[in-house]
Amino acid sequence: MSLSVADLRTKKQFGDRLFRGVTLTGGATILVVLALIAYTITNKSTLIFRTEGLDFFTQKRWAPSGDTPVFGALSFIYGTAVTATIALLLAVPISVGLALFTTQIAPPWLKKVLVTLTDMVAVVPSVVFGLWGIIVLAPKMVGFYKNLHSWFGGWPILGRIFGPTSAGRTFLTAGLILAVMVTPIVTSIAREVIETTPQADRDGALALGATRWEMITGAVIPHSVGGIVGAIMLGLGRAMGETIAAALVIGSSANISANILTAGDSLPSVIAFQWGEATSAEKRSALIAMGLTLFVLTLVVNFIATAVVSRALRRMQGST
Amino acid sequence: MTAALTERPGPVPSNELLESLSGVGGRRRLKNVVMTTLMGLSAVVIAFVLVLVLATVITKGWSIVSGAFPEWFTKDIQLSPRRPGPGMKAAIIGTVVITAVATAIAVPLGIAGAVYLNEYGKRSLFARVLRFMTNVMAGVPSIVMGLFVYVFWVVPRGVDGLTGFSGSIALACLMLPIIVRSSEEMLKLVPQNLRDASFALGGTNSRTILTVVIPKAAPGIISGALLAIARAAGETAPLIFTIGAAKATNWNPFSGTNTSLSLQIYGNAKESFATAQERAWGSALTLIALAVLFTIGARILSARITSRNS
Amino acid sequence: MNRTRKRSVALVGLVAFSLLAAACGSDDDNADSTTTAAAADDSTTTAAAGGDATTTVAAGGDTTIATEAPASSEAAASSEATASSEATATEVDYSALSGSLVGSGATFPKGFYDEAIAEFAGIASDVTVEYGGGGSGKGRSDLQEQVVDFAGTDSPVKEADMAGYKGGEFVYVPTVVAPITISYNLPGVESLQLSPATIAKIFQTDITSWDDPAIAADNPDATLPSTDIVVAHRADGSGTTDNFSKFLNAAVGPDASGEWTLGTGSELEWPANTQAGDGNSGVAQIVSSTEGAIGYVDLSDAKANGLTFASVQNAAGNFIEPTLEATSAAVEGSTINDDLTFFAGWAEGDDVYPIAAQTWIIAYTTQDDAGKAEALRGFLTYLLTEGQTMAPDIDYAPLPDDLRQKALANVAKIGA
Repeated sequence: MSLSVADLRTKKQFGDRLFRGVTLTGGATILVVLALIAYTITNKSTLIFRTEGLDFFTQKRWAPSGDTPVFGALSFIYGTAVTATIALLLAVPISVGLALFTTQIAPPWLKKVLVTLTDMVAVVPSVVFGLWGIIVLAPKMVGFYKNLHSWFGGWPILGRIFGPTSAGRTFLTAGLILAVMVTPIVTSIAREVIETTPQADRDGALALGATRWEMITGAVIPHSVGGIVGAIMLGLGRAMGETIAAALVIGSSANISANILTAGDSLPSVIAFQWGEATSAEKRSALIAMGLTLFVLTLVVNFIATAVVSRALRRMQGST
Repeated sequence: MTAALTERPGPVPSNELLESLSGVGGRRRLKNVVMTTLMGLSAVVIAFVLVLVLATVITKGWSIVSGAFPEWFTKDIQLSPRRPGPGMKAAIIGTVVITAVATAIAVPLGIAGAVYLNEYGKRSLFARVLRFMTNVMAGVPSIVMGLFVYVFWVVPRGVDGLTGFSGSIALACLMLPIIVRSSEEMLKLVPQNLRDASFALGGTNSRTILTVVIPKAAPGIISGALLAIARAAGETAPLIFTIGAAKATNWNPFSGTNTSLSLQIYGNAKESFATAQERAWGSALTLIALAVLFTIGARILSARITSRNS
Repeated sequence: MNRTRKRSVALVGLVAFSLLAAACGSDDDNADSTTTAAAADDSTTTAAAGGDATTTVAAGGDTTIATEAPASSEAAASSEATASSEATATEVDYSALSGSLVGSGATFPKGFYDEAIAEFAGIASDVTVEYGGGGSGKGRSDLQEQVVDFAGTDSPVKEADMAGYKGGEFVYVPTVVAPITISYNLPGVESLQLSPATIAKIFQTDITSWDDPAIAADNPDATLPSTDIVVAHRADGSGTTDNFSKFLNAAVGPDASGEWTLGTGSELEWPANTQAGDGNSGVAQIVSSTEGAIGYVDLSDAKANGLTFASVQNAAGNFIEPTLEATSAAVEGSTINDDLTFFAGWAEGDDVYPIAAQTWIIAYTTQDDAGKAEALRGFLTYLLTEGQTMAPDIDYAPLPDDLRQKALANVAKIGA
């Protein structure tokens, strides 16, 4: 008996459906894993929220051992915020400058070199930056930090930010290392966004007698500002979540201080260093809750960043 | 990841001529020069940092790797950090095995997911949610992945939970969204008329995808995957909780503890012994060499895709 | 529209499935804790049986002392000769053992364990022992979760945590004792004397400069620079921190003169502007790389890193250098409990170094399989016999003999 056309069709359809199911499984894995992450870490954090409540976020004290342990994550949240801010303050001008230089000024050969350079920074594993930070950078920075304090110590606000210091592993050192790691991410996305500026806009500006810088501020920046903001936010997400490099150089000392020349601690680094000592169920739960905090923070930042970047890219590509 | 972004040539108009002709005011020209210099300077800064870090890694790493040339690759790790005697075989094998298993998990799933998004889901609500979640997952900090795998996978298994495979799961979770994203970009580039031609010849959806679309996009997909692999190979945080701290070579990812180059760098960087720090630099050099090999591979493949498509 | 809805349903289904899977995961946890109870019952019987074994081993240990070194012309060093004689006495054929042992925990004795493991690998080629460090707390929690076969800890398990040990009953095996040094980096100052009160003030940053009158009072003859003090402490929870703070609490805590207010524990609420390193080695790294730094580091790490350390005033009022003899004297001056837990710090005696720290390996008395139990017994026996003779070479003090015998008795309780 030979197969009829209809048989072939159903057979084909079956194969098709099977294949479709396989691809769907691949995609759905992402949702399953995300759901599992959210479920497991939320589930394991409930204990600490039940005992500490929202004080977990507002308490400065972190005293996990002792007769009446206190679990406050505020100083770690603060440290995460401070180091990420320092990293962005340093990385954003450099990244945007680099992206503009690469796309608007550099001749083609130099452009290739710069793109490769940025990619190379992205490929260097974070632990290598950490190694360099802890062994080479941190000990060398002590003298520089003392100078910073002696230069700015008397100034009104800077005097508090660059306060008295004697250490090399500080908020600022961690911020510096994070800045290096954030730069390639911000640069590459900013570059992509900037390159969508219509050639006509740029030519128009130049034809009106604008200098190159005026062309950039008048045509390129207004066009790509949304995308650059998104790029910065993706950088922020990375800076907050980066563990190893920051953990090695931050100094690991729960500390809320305006003085960025003192040691602090951040959410990911406290998880990495203190997980081992998490003997009590509460402490373990508190550290997982910090992971949850980090997860939620990066989720929010990345949500916004993704939305901003994709909208900006869509709008710009549409406008060409 | 960055190399996967498509580069468009940006023509650089020579406006020096224009400037001198239109008699741009001195202040404006000065501002232009200053800002251009500043932008150039940012390139110099990042190049300086990269060169500084790489130069330290290469000089310090090379002296130990070359100083003990074959042993570095053939001997297990010195059991006591304070003793000299190089050997990183266990970590090199560990990195390769753990990353390979992670690749075996993440790449097929990732490509399948990308195929679903680009060929079936397209702009449907589910596909859009999935695409969005992929971006979200790409931003999950690696330490959270480590915590997740420890709680979900290691703890229920007890002593037997600390294996290379546990680390592979964590790395696969990190690689998956990157691969989905880069593969979908590559599938998007496959011209629609190729699909139409296949359909016209009676090809089913699955046949078209498997024999026309994927082969066409393959080099791009592979180069994207290689970059994800290179990144995963350098990850440390997800491995701290999941693979233990072996010093002897373990080819079996499913049983027994393991180690990796990144963990060796992390552990030895915190040590105060000169011998340990040397090992950290040597491991860093080895790891970067591995990452560079993968990146070069990615570059060659992307070059091939462009030549094949033209 | 209809298709979209179908997919949404699928999505919801998947999430539900994942939640279900996760729920099953936590069910496993419950199952585990039920087995724990059963295992605990078993261990009681084993422990009783183990009591018999104790005498045999102890007897073996006694003969050791009488045994002469065998005529082994290969043994170059005399310590190796004694070591091999002990091996024959305890009658452990290390080469017959096989299996893999995983441990984690205290970094304080890690230098000793690392060396011992390196040597043990030479004579028991079929056993791989891996000691991951990570801090006493990590060791205890890993053992609790049965993630490791043995754990190193510098502090006894708290009463409240006992119930969490999934493998049932466990034993303490003291391995070595060692001084915790107060190491500092102050070029030009070769010797320094510190009283517990001054140490407390320094580590609480009540004193911020090296030429502070309190330090000068302890060191009438020294010329002290005005360098800023950088306090280095542990970033990870640590038995070393626990022992260091217990010493300060005993000497100058609220119940004594009251200078020390940070309490005790494996992590303390350190003041801001202090630096923390991961592990003893991490603290040593800060001290060696920062001028003006001071930190508490075990003698072995301090010596291996070429750090300078202070003499500390003991209970009798004498300034004592951290030496192995002064540490052994501290063990003899402290009370040892029945389960072999004790605290060696702030002990009585004229020549006692006051910051002595003890360390144990803890392991379950009931192991899953006999081979593993045998390998574990072999390794621990090695630590208490041959291992003891090599301890001083890397600056750990061996146990006094009576304590060593009791420790071997505890090792014998480990079975399958």
